[in-house]
Amino acid sequence: MSKDIFVFVECKNGSIRKVSFELLSKAKEISEKLSSIVYAVIIGSDVEAAANNLQEFADKVIVVNNEKLKNYRWDTYIHVMEQLIRKYTPYAVFGASTVTGKDIFPRLAAKFNGAIISDAVGAVLEGEIIKIKKPLFGGKIISWVACKDDSTFFVTFRPNSFSVEKRPSNGELIYEALDVAEDARINLVRVDKAESKKVDLQEADFIICGGRGMKGPENFQILEEIAEIMEGRVGASRAVVDSKWRDYDDQIGKSGKTVSPKLYIGCGVSGALHHTMGMDTSKVIVAVNKDPNALIFQYADYGIVDDLFDVLPLLKEGLLKTKQEV
Amino acid sequence: MNILVFIKQVADTEARISLKSDKRSLEIENKYNMNFFDEFAVEEALKVKSKIKDSQITVCTYGAKKAVEALRTAIAMGADKAFLLDNTGLDNDDPLITSKILANFTKNGGFDLIFCGRQAIDDENANIGTMVAEFLDIPHVSAILKFDIIDEKKVVVESEIEGGKATLEVELPALFTTQKGINEPRVPLITGVMKAMKASINVIDPVTLGLSKDIIDTTASKISVLTYETPAGRPAVKIVDGETTGEKVKSLINILKEDAKVL
Repeated sequence: MSKDIFVFVECKNGSIRKVSFELLSKAKEISEKLSSIVYAVIIGSDVEAAANNLQEFADKVIVVNNEKLKNYRWDTYIHVMEQLIRKYTPYAVFGASTVTGKDIFPRLAAKFNGAIISDAVGAVLEGEIIKIKKPLFGGKIISWVACKDDSTFFVTFRPNSFSVEKRPSNGELIYEALDVAEDARINLVRVDKAESKKVDLQEADFIICGGRGMKGPENFQILEEIAEIMEGRVGASRAVVDSKWRDYDDQIGKSGKTVSPKLYIGCGVSGALHHTMGMDTSKVIVAVNKDPNALIFQYADYGIVDDLFDVLPLLKEGLLKTKQEV
Repeated sequence: MNILVFIKQVADTEARISLKSDKRSLEIENKYNMNFFDEFAVEEALKVKSKIKDSQITVCTYGAKKAVEALRTAIAMGADKAFLLDNTGLDNDDPLITSKILANFTKNGGFDLIFCGRQAIDDENANIGTMVAEFLDIPHVSAILKFDIIDEKKVVVESEIEGGKATLEVELPALFTTQKGINEPRVPLITGVMKAMKASINVIDPVTLGLSKDIIDTTASKISVLTYETPAGRPAVKIVDGETTGEKVKSLINILKEDAKVL
């Protein structure tokens, strides 16, 4: 079998998601050592423009452009991926541990009787073996695993696991006209797109997270303003979501999302294990809390002990100034 | 309706977990629960049962003998029958094998409707549900937020998709994974707990499900654990000092710019 790597590319509002560039960068680093090929696989409708942006990141770009792929359905997407994998027989298929990745990859792996590793955070080539790094028990344990390579294996990685590095490449575009079959047992009645927030929580480089110490939903406005300045996102603790101050989509932690931004700022977040399990892989953690004994300080790099309602306006002003200087 | 719910017993979030000296196995404190997302699956099954007469709820797990505790929790909530597919002697943790075992159990049961949690909180894999659906060749819908029975052959569900929600009509039999928000799982009543303590749990050796041992034993695993590590901890927090709040914030921004280099 070849050592070629497939990367399943995801788009959002017509542009390629950052996580897909991260995966392509890592795949390319590995494939150069294995003298193999990285295929960026992009499927959907009207994806041609986006496909051009992949050429610098992959040796070959496989484009499946079909009106039937306009709305996401696992059955059509898996049908297309299945045909491509049979044709190109890659050694490994990489994808993102996102809502879509989680829906497609395990079922695809089952179809090929292939190994699946989900929600990984790292990959290292040792000899000819790709070692995959995967956190367990909310990050209390890190496991390193490898797949038997007697069949294609499938891995999904969390966003922000790898840095984006362009390697000199000018990937050839391959247009595949494939059959797209829907599973007749499923009828997609309607798609409701949520009002598009700027950045995906899991992909954000900057997250400012509010806890119960924010005292009420109205006080999240300033967090929104800071997030906007930093081109990041507002997150929330479970207590905040359970009190219906914020949507579940914002929840960080064990029963919410796992995030690894470059900078996480927790405001009035107590630091319950439930929450820290979802954010302790952040690069830099800042905590603002008036209680010097708050648990969150055990997980933070930097802390301010003060009233957050005094801190936030000043922080906003300071960050705005910094942004303007850059 | 013949309803099946897959559940998993997982280590409690607060359980202490450490490496054994070989670094290939783990020591887990004896604190276990039913997986958080599976509670929504059991609850949704109970809601269906309350709407459709003569429904029966079977719960099933593939796991160690102690996983009967999680099955008893499901019975305490209101499930009718419980099956433990005992993994003693089949010490593997490969989703491909687990889903084949669960699929084979399901094939023999004539189920109309299958629920399970969107993912387990110990490995955060989100693999088993959709893989079982593939082995059964039935449709699935991941991360459902709403579930409505139209008739015995058809349901309408709302599910989480990237950047929004999708509404789908699905023919049964089908498998659905439950997301937080679909319902409020009930807390078992004391009478339920008493009933669960007395309930008999069916224990099955997976080998008897029609899968040959070489497909499900340890050597069949396509994934090997090379080593476990504990994550490198963070150095102690640096509390940013200052006479006034303004000074503290100024100093923090400086540190984030100059030392941490994240601004």
